[in-house]
Amino acid sequence: MQKRSSVVLIAITAIGAALTPSISHAATTSPRRIISLSPSATEDLFAIGAGKQVVAVDNLSNYPANAPITKLDAFTPNVEAIAKYKPDLVVLQSSATKAVAVKAALEKLKIKVFFEVTPSDINGAYTEIQALGTATGKGVQATKVITAMKTAIAQAITSGKRSNPTAIFHEVDSTLYSATSKTFIGHVYSDFNTLNIADAADTADSFGYPQLTNEYLLKANPQVIFLGDEQKISQVASRAGWSRIEAVAKKQIFALPADIPSRWGPRLVDFYQFVAKSLMSIK
Amino acid sequence: MRGEKQEDSAQIQGISPIWNWRTTFICAALLLLVGLLAISFGPIHLHFGEIIKTLLGMHGGLSGQDRTVLIDLRLPRALLAALVGAALATSGAVYQSVFRNPLADPYLLGAASGAGLGATIAITNAHGDVYSLLPIFSFIGGTLAVLTSFFISGKFFAEPQSLLLSGIAVGSFATAIQTYLQQRHSSSLRPVYSWILGELTVANWQIVTWSSIYILLSLGVLISISKQLDGLMLSDEESFSLGINPNRLRMIAVAAATLATATAVSASGLIGFVGIVVPHLVRGITHRVTNRNLLTVALAGAAFLVLADLGARTLLSPAELPIGVITAFVGAPFFLVVLRRRRTV
Repeated sequence: MQKRSSVVLIAITAIGAALTPSISHAATTSPRRIISLSPSATEDLFAIGAGKQVVAVDNLSNYPANAPITKLDAFTPNVEAIAKYKPDLVVLQSSATKAVAVKAALEKLKIKVFFEVTPSDINGAYTEIQALGTATGKGVQATKVITAMKTAIAQAITSGKRSNPTAIFHEVDSTLYSATSKTFIGHVYSDFNTLNIADAADTADSFGYPQLTNEYLLKANPQVIFLGDEQKISQVASRAGWSRIEAVAKKQIFALPADIPSRWGPRLVDFYQFVAKSLMSIK
Repeated sequence: MRGEKQEDSAQIQGISPIWNWRTTFICAALLLLVGLLAISFGPIHLHFGEIIKTLLGMHGGLSGQDRTVLIDLRLPRALLAALVGAALATSGAVYQSVFRNPLADPYLLGAASGAGLGATIAITNAHGDVYSLLPIFSFIGGTLAVLTSFFISGKFFAEPQSLLLSGIAVGSFATAIQTYLQQRHSSSLRPVYSWILGELTVANWQIVTWSSIYILLSLGVLISISKQLDGLMLSDEESFSLGINPNRLRMIAVAAATLATATAVSASGLIGFVGIVVPHLVRGITHRVTNRNLLTVALAGAAFLVLADLGARTLLSPAELPIGVITAFVGAPFFLVVLRRRRTV
């Protein structure tokens, strides 16, 4: 025990000695070896110009193309595999398996952790971009990115906003899970003065993602359908009984590009623009 | 030397000594070996000599981050795997004797489904750090399910079958509620699923400490009554004539085995197959259907799970494979081979 504490003491003194001369500098030094275990954070980091500091990203961080994708898993993070990259900052999702324990283990290894809580609306997304900017020494760039996003999104809303409420259905998966106006996805649609048919089906314990039934969908008769699950439009249109839905009859089904509805980063602009374009094209 | 001779003569008569010390020793050595393997391998390369020096507290051991990787990441995980393996294997062996059923496993009386329900309730209702509440909830769930099985069956052990059946019913009931909750909270599907497949990820000393208290206590009780447990293989009348109170013995055995199982489950999720495979493997090797080799079973279970966990975290590295997948994938074929061999012997 004594031996162990003396080792720790020596280590602390050594680290202290190494740091003392540059302590004023150290406070402003930004991380140089970042690992992002969140596809949204990866997009944020590259957008704010911190991409060069990123040494590894998780296996789902497929955007931008030059992100250093690895086999690291964001949902079940492996502390030792992360430590192998010798990072000085790790972006960790709060929804990862045993996230709090993983965070504690990383901090024990003297690695800083940026704990990412999934934002519930667009302001949360802006807050995260700004926070990532602060954490990586790119605060100014982050503010610029946010301003540009706000302008582009405002433009998209102006161009696509409906004059009278339009009933929409957003398909999360092919078993008819949907997203209500309470959710991040739902906020995007309600900005365009649409009527989300999932809202009426929401219950206290569906957390904004109720599972609808075929009959409910036929009754609600949405005018527009957005597919967030990469289904083929022709297949969706040929589902039993769906030909009677207005959106199907008028061919107003739009397949969102992959990943767009699940990334709370700079590509939210793409999401808004896609919805605007789709809504402008309907009869 | 004399022991070997005795064993030889015993084998000629078709029976082995009651307690096969040699197997026990081999299992202990095996556990030590796989334990060393487990703490030596991982994404970060650590020098083997330095690992040994660190463990023995000698000079020239690991320092800094490498030391933390060994002491705070690998060591607690290997220890937890060993504890859980020992708990599940021993409980399995005891359940098999108590119920006179070779297919009995530690989850038989609803411990697994109850713990699963507890874990699901924790995951679906907790806000913030789910995982700090999960062990407590799954422990309570598992224990409650077993107690319910007891109360429903009423006559306790007058008929082991009725307890077994009520265990199955309680288990199905708990699973039904769990499935319903999961459907209602689709966001909880992934954490619940990964818990069900068993996980030893990010084990820390805190978990190792509290689970070792319950598990070692239960194992101590079970091993100390192991001699009497053999009496349960006889009819109750015969047990009585040997001075054993079969019902009381069954109560103690099931209580201790349940405590060990519930602790193991709450620390690491549902790791299947260990409780069936390991006891039968040990019996297959020692050719003895006896509870006096419970210590051997515990050691073998510990070694098996430490090895399985090593596979879980290295085979797909840096991703983790659920340990339950490994125990079943390796355990099932191995088990079949032993079964087949035993039939032809």
